[in-house]
Amino acid sequence: MRERLEKLTESFRSELADAPDLKSLEETRVKYLGKKGEFTAILKGLKDLPPEERPSAGVLINETRDFFESALEAAKTGLSRKQLDAAIELEKIDVTLPPKRRETGRLHPLSQIIREITGIFIGMGYEVAEGPEIELTRYNFDALNIPADHPARDSQDSFYTTDGHVLRTQTSPVQARTMEAKKPPIRIIAPGRVFRADEVDATHSPVFHQLEGLVVDKGVTMAHLKGTLSVFLKELFGEETKLRFRPHHFPFTEPSAEVDVSCFACGGKGCRVCKDSGFIEILGCGMVHPRVLSMRGIDPEVYTGFAFGLGLERIAMQRFGISDMRLLYENDVKFLSQF
Amino acid sequence: MEAPISWVREYTPVACSIKEFEDVMTMSGSKVETTRVLGGSVSGVVAGKILSIEKHPDADKLVVTKVDAGSETLQIVTGAANLKVGDFVPVATDGATLADGTKIKRGKLRGVESNGMLCSIEELGYSRSEYPEAPENGIYVFTEPQEPGVSVVSLLELYDEVAEFEITSNRTDCNSIVGIAREAAAAFGAPFTPPDASVKEAAGGSASEYISIDIQNPDCLRYCARVIKNVKIEPSPLWLRHRLIACGVRPINNIVDVTNYVMLELGQPMHAFDADGIAGGRVVVRRARDGEKFITLDGNERALDSSMMVIADPEKAVAIAGVMGGENSKVTAGASAILLESACFAGANIRQTSKKLGLRTDASSKYEKGLDPNLCDYAVNRAAHLIELLGAGEAAAGISDNYPEPKPPVTLPIEYDKINALIGFSLSRDEIDALLTRAFIEARGGVAHIPTFRADIELQADLAEEAARLYGYDKIESSASPAATAGRLSRRQKITELIKDTLAAQGYFECVTYSFESPKAFDRLLFPENAPERRAVKIQNPLGSDYSVMRTTPLNGMAESLSLNCARRNKECRLFNAARTYAPRDGGLPEEKFAVTLGAYGEKFDFFDMKGAVCALLDVLGIKAEFLAVSDLPYAHPGRAAKITKDGVTLGFIGELHPTAAANYEIGRRAYISALDGDALIESADLSRRHAPLPKFPAITRDIALLAREEVPVAEIERAIFERGGKILESAELFDVYSGNQIGQGCKSVAYNLTLRSSERTLTEDEAAAAIAKILKNIEEKTGAKLRE
Ligand SMILES: [Zn+2]
Repeated sequence: MRERLEKLTESFRSELADAPDLKSLEETRVKYLGKKGEFTAILKGLKDLPPEERPSAGVLINETRDFFESALEAAKTGLSRKQLDAAIELEKIDVTLPPKRRETGRLHPLSQIIREITGIFIGMGYEVAEGPEIELTRYNFDALNIPADHPARDSQDSFYTTDGHVLRTQTSPVQARTMEAKKPPIRIIAPGRVFRADEVDATHSPVFHQLEGLVVDKGVTMAHLKGTLSVFLKELFGEETKLRFRPHHFPFTEPSAEVDVSCFACGGKGCRVCKDSGFIEILGCGMVHPRVLSMRGIDPEVYTGFAFGLGLERIAMQRFGISDMRLLYENDVKFLSQF
Repeated sequence: MEAPISWVREYTPVACSIKEFEDVMTMSGSKVETTRVLGGSVSGVVAGKILSIEKHPDADKLVVTKVDAGSETLQIVTGAANLKVGDFVPVATDGATLADGTKIKRGKLRGVESNGMLCSIEELGYSRSEYPEAPENGIYVFTEPQEPGVSVVSLLELYDEVAEFEITSNRTDCNSIVGIAREAAAAFGAPFTPPDASVKEAAGGSASEYISIDIQNPDCLRYCARVIKNVKIEPSPLWLRHRLIACGVRPINNIVDVTNYVMLELGQPMHAFDADGIAGGRVVVRRARDGEKFITLDGNERALDSSMMVIADPEKAVAIAGVMGGENSKVTAGASAILLESACFAGANIRQTSKKLGLRTDASSKYEKGLDPNLCDYAVNRAAHLIELLGAGEAAAGISDNYPEPKPPVTLPIEYDKINALIGFSLSRDEIDALLTRAFIEARGGVAHIPTFRADIELQADLAEEAARLYGYDKIESSASPAATAGRLSRRQKITELIKDTLAAQGYFECVTYSFESPKAFDRLLFPENAPERRAVKIQNPLGSDYSVMRTTPLNGMAESLSLNCARRNKECRLFNAARTYAPRDGGLPEEKFAVTLGAYGEKFDFFDMKGAVCALLDVLGIKAEFLAVSDLPYAHPGRAAKITKDGVTLGFIGELHPTAAANYEIGRRAYISALDGDALIESADLSRRHAPLPKFPAITRDIALLAREEVPVAEIERAIFERGGKILESAELFDVYSGNQIGQGCKSVAYNLTLRSSERTLTEDEAAAAIAKILKNIEEKTGAKLRE
């Protein structure tokens, strides 16, 4: 019996090793383990053995059959794996072929800059205010303490409608409107479109964008103005940016300042871009003029405030390396898709 | 404002490099725009004495000179004919550089060795108008003996540094050398010595004997005059000419030069009249008469009107006040006595006059900004002082001065706490007093004495600025602003951002267009004559007719942008725009409406591509809208346009641009535009979302194919489906529309996939069949479409 089983195992092993696919493996299984297979025959032959040998022979048969079964299972797993590998091998694709894609659009570079700046100020507790683009001269000039004979009011500089309104020359009238509509504390920024009678060239456009900021509260100081702007400008231009506050004059602030940031092109060493000064003028600011406050019904003895304003085109141009402002208004998709 | 540094230093001893000067001035509020160096490129040119002149052996037009150039005697060949032995001349030695950058090297001229070059004034960078003693063609000869070997840059005062300042509109006092010098003194904490204005008055007689002044126009705030006798007109000395040149003013003669010099130095315009040209010795400041003709110094006849002001005598005008003098009273070489005017006029009047006449002069641009009337007498004295100094004439005693309302100096109590609180520093009273005093605002006993040239200082905030800027803005400690408010976007702003993001995600690029456009846009867009869109806000002073009306519709900007992309040969283009349109409103500001606009074209792009983007946007905004065919939009293809509505409110339109309009914009292909009312979108947007339980029971799906008349819009069929679908109709998806051979003429097949599901139990086949039957019945009733057999 033992001999017979050993012979059987030997032939099973070699058949198993030679089995090319799952089908022949199944044939092997039927041949040995099937109803009419070898084991059935061996089991039938068990009764021909002497009774005392039967138990040990039974154990041996069972062990052998268990081995056959697990060997078959293992061979089956191996073979299926091989077949899958072969199939996978045929399914290879060239992953460098172009994608099927739905192209996405982009926000205009100016919108991206406005969004970035707005995000910085919202983080500092500001709201975003808006106002009309065609404005009353009262808000665009008078409320900002701009004298009646100031050259900025000239039709050479500002566009007027035939009804005597002005296309706002700055976002500052939003300040005036906000102070009229709200009680302090006020913390707003006002990005928007403004107009000046400039002919179109690489650095001028009759339509452009500004962002205005205004804070009015008790105890607001110029030190707060400096602190706020340095947080903002370092966030916008990078932590290593150096700032320079220079005294200046604006009718609607006193004291007033212009703020320069270290030159983007040379980092402050001096170059053509910054005319060798190492700095680039970036915004105007100051403490809200007491008359501007009192004209809007805010008591300058109780409240103080600061305001600032900056042009957005030049920031977008600097950020994205655009040298001609006209590109921003042409709307060529080859340009717009770069941002 | 241009200021030669050497001139500034005459009044305040600031000794530092030009770079440091620039920085300190800029950081104290006088921004230096640029600096330039005069005579900077000339080097190696020295004074030389001509020792001998001999004929050149081989050239008739050349001579050979021996020149004592200090350290050596040089043989130099020259072609100039204006030299004699003993003359002192500029000698460019070997290795010298001329004003135009030419390098001089020793060499041979027609075989004779020449070790340098004798120079003309032009070769030193100037001209005869600045150095009138120079010959027309030839070598410059010094008028006085010079020490050979000394650099001509110093002898001719060629060298100077000139700083150009940006002067802010509140600091008219800084439009002068003295103003800059005061600022420099303040910035550096250096002493300041005002220019000498003492007058000897050697001429005898008094000004008032010669001149009386009658001011008839209140726009003349003050009129001062001095009389100069024994006038001797000649060129000014070099130092004076040089300063004028450095400031870009051409020297003319000593009297005119002095008036210009004082204008530059003190900022006070001056004018010199020939005293004989003023009849009766009576100066009248009056309004011009309408239509009065006047010939100005430049020889042009000017037509005046009564808004302008003239200086006149009882017979005639002699000058346009504050702008330009007249031909009839010009100072000429024969003048025996002159009248020096130093007056103050209201800035607005001068600006208007200058603008109306189209005549802007140095004087008018100074007056325009508003001057201090208390400067008049000082300036006229300073001019008389210089005239005496130059030996150009002698002053008669006293000033004729008419000053109707003298402007007194102002005082302001100093509120130290308020100044500290505004800036955010804590300076002592003494420190603040010292800073103000440095700024020429004398601060003592808690009171600031404001000089009249600082009319801009009115409030504590102004004092605070003076203290802060001299303390140094950069030294003010930054501090964080306490945020007592929550930052946020409004609902409107949030939705606007959402709209932009959604359209970008749908593949559209945001574009930015001008707010004003050509009125021809309405024709290009085929608007009929009476279209309300043609009623636009007009610009009074546009840059040109192409920018003369404020847009009433966003269509033109979009069509132009598409057109540009076609012209640039971009194969496809998808744009969106989120901006305002402007509608005129009677009495009040125009109505500004928010418009969201899409525009696109492309080889495979069609109406439904754009509809997809619009529907995606509506989905994101939570708006369930309907699309209704419209054929009466002038700018749209009548068979390919839809109105988008929600509950009867129009949200906008979508359609193909009318082929004629597309042709008008030279868009040589089908283009699609959707113009949405941004305000209505924001108003209708519903961003609230609620969770609905996910389905627990299986769905039953059924396909139905319907036979409908061609003209029935599928939207009607769909509406009929949902009307009777009941709660169990989950969705109805159109999956096929077909018209062709198998279908009858004028008909189409429309196929839907319906999904039915109950949220409470598993639907039975019978329930589904009943629901479908109800739906089909309703479709037939409402649209005539039947189930295809
Ligand atoms: Zn630089």
